[in-house]
Amino acid sequence: MKLNNIKRSMLSFWNEFRQTRFGIFGLITFCLFVVIILFETAIIPFPEASTRWRDISYWEDNPKGAAPVWVNWFTSTKHTPQKVITDVELKREEDSGFEFIDVVIPYDYQYDIAPNDIIFHAMTRGEVTLMISLLRPDGDEILLTEKSVNSTTLRDLRIPISTNSLDNVYNYVKQHESFENIKAKPKNVMNSMQVLFAKAEEGMLQNPASLQGEYQLKITAVILGEGEFLEPNLVISGNVFGLLGTDSFKRDIWSGVIAGTKWAMLIGLMTSSLAVIIGVIFGVSSAYFGGLVDMLMMRFYEIAASIPMLPVLIVLSAIFKPSIWTIILIMCVFSWVGPVRTVRSIGLQIKAETYVEAARALNASHSRIIFRHMIPQLIPYAFASMALSVPGAIVTESTISLLGLGDPTIVTWGQILRDAVSGGAVLQGLWWWVVPPGLFIAGMGMTFAFIGFAMDTILNPKLKTR
Amino acid sequence: MDKILDVRNIKLHYLTRKGAVRALDDVSFPLYRGETLGVVGESGCGKTTLGTALLNMPTPPGKIVGGEIFLEGKNVLELNERQYRTNIRWEKIAMVFQGAMNCLTPVYTIQKQMMETIKFHREIEDDQALERIIKYVNLVGLSADVLKRYPHELSGGMKQRIVIAMGLFLEPDVVICDEPTTALDVVVQAQIINLLKELKQELKLSFIFITHDLATEAEVSDRIMVMYAGKVVEIGTNEHIYGSQGASHPYTRRLLAATPRLHQQVEQLAFIPGTPPDLLTPPTGCRFHLRCDEKMEKCMKEEPPLKEIGPEHKVACWRCY
Amino acid sequence: MYWKYVIKRILYACGGFIIIMFIFSALFNTIMEKTLYDQINETVEMEILNRSSSGLSQEALDVYKAKRYDYFIKRYHLNEPVMQRIFWRAVDTITFNFGKSTLMQSPQGDREVIKIVGSKIPNTLILFTTVVVIDTLLGIALGIKKAQKPNKKLDQSTSVITMIVYGIPGWWMAMICIMFFVYLIPIFPSGGIHSVPPPTGGFAYFLDMLYHLALPVLVLVAIGFWGRAYLIRNLVLTTLQEDFIMSARARGLSENKVLYGHTMRTAAPPIVTMALMSLLASFGGSLIFEGIFSWPGMGNLYWVAIQQNDVPVLMGLLAVTTTLSLSGLVILDLIYGFLDPRIKVGGKA
Repeated sequence: MKLNNIKRSMLSFWNEFRQTRFGIFGLITFCLFVVIILFETAIIPFPEASTRWRDISYWEDNPKGAAPVWVNWFTSTKHTPQKVITDVELKREEDSGFEFIDVVIPYDYQYDIAPNDIIFHAMTRGEVTLMISLLRPDGDEILLTEKSVNSTTLRDLRIPISTNSLDNVYNYVKQHESFENIKAKPKNVMNSMQVLFAKAEEGMLQNPASLQGEYQLKITAVILGEGEFLEPNLVISGNVFGLLGTDSFKRDIWSGVIAGTKWAMLIGLMTSSLAVIIGVIFGVSSAYFGGLVDMLMMRFYEIAASIPMLPVLIVLSAIFKPSIWTIILIMCVFSWVGPVRTVRSIGLQIKAETYVEAARALNASHSRIIFRHMIPQLIPYAFASMALSVPGAIVTESTISLLGLGDPTIVTWGQILRDAVSGGAVLQGLWWWVVPPGLFIAGMGMTFAFIGFAMDTILNPKLKTR
Repeated sequence: MDKILDVRNIKLHYLTRKGAVRALDDVSFPLYRGETLGVVGESGCGKTTLGTALLNMPTPPGKIVGGEIFLEGKNVLELNERQYRTNIRWEKIAMVFQGAMNCLTPVYTIQKQMMETIKFHREIEDDQALERIIKYVNLVGLSADVLKRYPHELSGGMKQRIVIAMGLFLEPDVVICDEPTTALDVVVQAQIINLLKELKQELKLSFIFITHDLATEAEVSDRIMVMYAGKVVEIGTNEHIYGSQGASHPYTRRLLAATPRLHQQVEQLAFIPGTPPDLLTPPTGCRFHLRCDEKMEKCMKEEPPLKEIGPEHKVACWRCY
Repeated sequence: MYWKYVIKRILYACGGFIIIMFIFSALFNTIMEKTLYDQINETVEMEILNRSSSGLSQEALDVYKAKRYDYFIKRYHLNEPVMQRIFWRAVDTITFNFGKSTLMQSPQGDREVIKIVGSKIPNTLILFTTVVVIDTLLGIALGIKKAQKPNKKLDQSTSVITMIVYGIPGWWMAMICIMFFVYLIPIFPSGGIHSVPPPTGGFAYFLDMLYHLALPVLVLVAIGFWGRAYLIRNLVLTTLQEDFIMSARARGLSENKVLYGHTMRTAAPPIVTMALMSLLASFGGSLIFEGIFSWPGMGNLYWVAIQQNDVPVLMGLLAVTTTLSLSGLVILDLIYGFLDPRIKVGGKA
């Protein structure tokens, strides 16, 4: 088969493919996924999600198990979204060896449910003392906390207000709340954030009414001697976060899902292409050589086909704890059996054609006949087969990960789902943890299904006429 | 003679996405009781389509878009599908397919398939049905134990005989034979042809014998209809076509010339250059004019009608009137 | 002729089984032996404990212990070279002698792996056979409808749905449905095969089981039957284009007879094959699915065994699953041969 022939048949194939609506749709979604993979770091707010998925410090400031931001569109009580405020007023003064820094961080609070936490960050070096207080829209200024730090290198200073201001906030409450309510809710049960952002009146402990308006976080820092105080910012740890919320380990699910896309694509494509390539070569060879070779190969095929993949894969993973590449390899080892039967029957038909006989009469070598004459005709079927096996491979890997047996150095959708299950997402109704990864699995599956089915419908009638 | 079938101006088009393929365009012919009408032509001329048209079962996306089929005086195309199925198909008009085609369902025994067909059409008891089946099976030269077999167990010749038996056992008025011997070897071919001739004698049936093999046609048919590109170009008795005077229509003559004779010395076999026309956009005028070496100006512009040029001899050619 | 084929097939399957068991044995040898050692130690310790109160001296006990230990080592061939050990392990597995579980018990309190596994098989079968049967029936119904008007609206729209659900993992769908139908709008129970405590009386018991069967079956069928319908549609369409169908119509047979009698009967072997194969395939995938629903079948047993690192049970399950797979394939071939006379009578595959 000449290259021209192959080119021509591919072109006519492409023409027909273009006409199937779902083929094109599949191709579009496929390109969408490719775009996602290429621009991964640009689309997600946590670009290192891929490598630091299990690094707690990377996700520290996020709320736990927070719903996505757009939930607010559907509720009347507004939740506080995550926000990082870097635009601050800063005044420095030097006086007799001390550096005085006054920082004012404004925050416009227009919500009904108070944030999870507000976390103050700054880069400091040397001996630094700070005082943090909050100026509320109703004019009250509450001293939240005082802290001293000392470090020889420039380090990130992180002060979560909710844990560091309990006493002061409780005192503030005592000024406004009724006696019974105070008795009913002791300090350690109090939600300081709710109180800080609530109207100062009776009932602010039990039923805080939200106080909306402009808040100011005032920080006075003093550096004794030589030191630095840089980049102060405030992280509002909201109770809704991002496009897809957070899990109970504070990780941004949107980042995780996007980061997992490349792995899904890789796993799917690699497993299916390798499996199909092996399967096609095996099937064609078996058909071509015939006789005893064929029989032995078929017996081998039967044995391989009878071993149930998932159970063995699970046991192997449990014992040997493989990396993702090994998992892909094992999946290939089981999946190559798929196309063999069909390929072999097509191969047998091709073998019966006269040009194969002619080639043999001309003393063409075995590999020449197989690779030049038989395989090119199987290429369309091979591609359709590849496309249709991708979803299966992705689901299999997800299943392995779901059991906790996946490769722990990477993030895959299956792993996110595993954490969801073990983190009790189903019981707690954290749907944003469970739904998106599955939707993406289904989405990528759908993409390849569209492409594969489109190929299949085009190729099938041709197979019939042979 | 008594006309059992009168086909008038049948038009059957295949309605594809690209347009209508005019497989049968204005085909008319009579079939007399007790005769065999042979239908010849190249592949693609419409002869098999004719068979499906008579059964009112055009292969999708085909549709009969015009014409009438008069069976014993009544236009059967007016009947609805259900009536056609119960009254006409197999009862009055039956078809003997190419036995090499797998026209027998592979999962049922011969007996089951034959019984099923009889019982569908006649209200008779099982044992009577079986009797008739055995009678016809014997008639076609097979013993009754083929009945218990499955189609794949029979040879090509045996299958052909079974198909003939099935076509005949309801004793229909018209039997259409579509290339019944084409896929068989010459010995079996001869046997089948003799069989058909015998049966025609005995059962007094009327046959339409479709084939592309002129030699077989000459053996079997009383009258011959030549088709080209969905049209009838010549129709006449055996004598008219094969006789000493030679046929009239240029196409028929070329067809006959192209048949190699056993005792002739030839340098080169005669053939007709070119290919049959595309029926999606058929040529203007006479459809054969592009391959005809006797064409005139008129042939390219006007379509010649099927006109009678002698007793029971019609031709569609400007040269022949 | 047919019986020769049957016997040949069964023999091949047995051969295949033996080979697979050897492969497993070789792969998992180290683990299995470690467990064996542990179990031997445990057994010997128990025996010593039982005898320590019988008044024997410490020396006598030690000698006894050493002897018993030796006995077990010899019995399980642990003192022989690797290849032989693998061989004996395989023999054990092939004869379904899986030993005892480290941690689990069957409902009857037995610790024999084979009994534990055996008690779970019916549950898995109930679930997945129901799914496959309903799946196939719906698939046939829809598939035929699609084949009758190919590429028209119904066909195209259902094909699109098929493609959309193609990649949905069953267990994920299960999770979503549970979140929705069990917690949000409580219609179905969250899992298990029976309510606790199970109702008494045959019919109520049966109904209760149906109630628990409903959601898992619904989830699997909702995702699965589209694909089935698509395949059946292709099959029926191909068959409808065969010459013998036209011939049957020409003979004046009614459309129903042609469709169900001739078409479906001819398409039956591949359809049955498909149904059985998906049943076999579902054994593998049942793992997670049963786990999500706490359905006490083989898949769930796998899950539990993995979490508890119970190797004998795992090995036993592997062997049983493979056996079921292989016997399923053999039964499949035999049924196919039975349904398709071209194979049945001819004896050729």
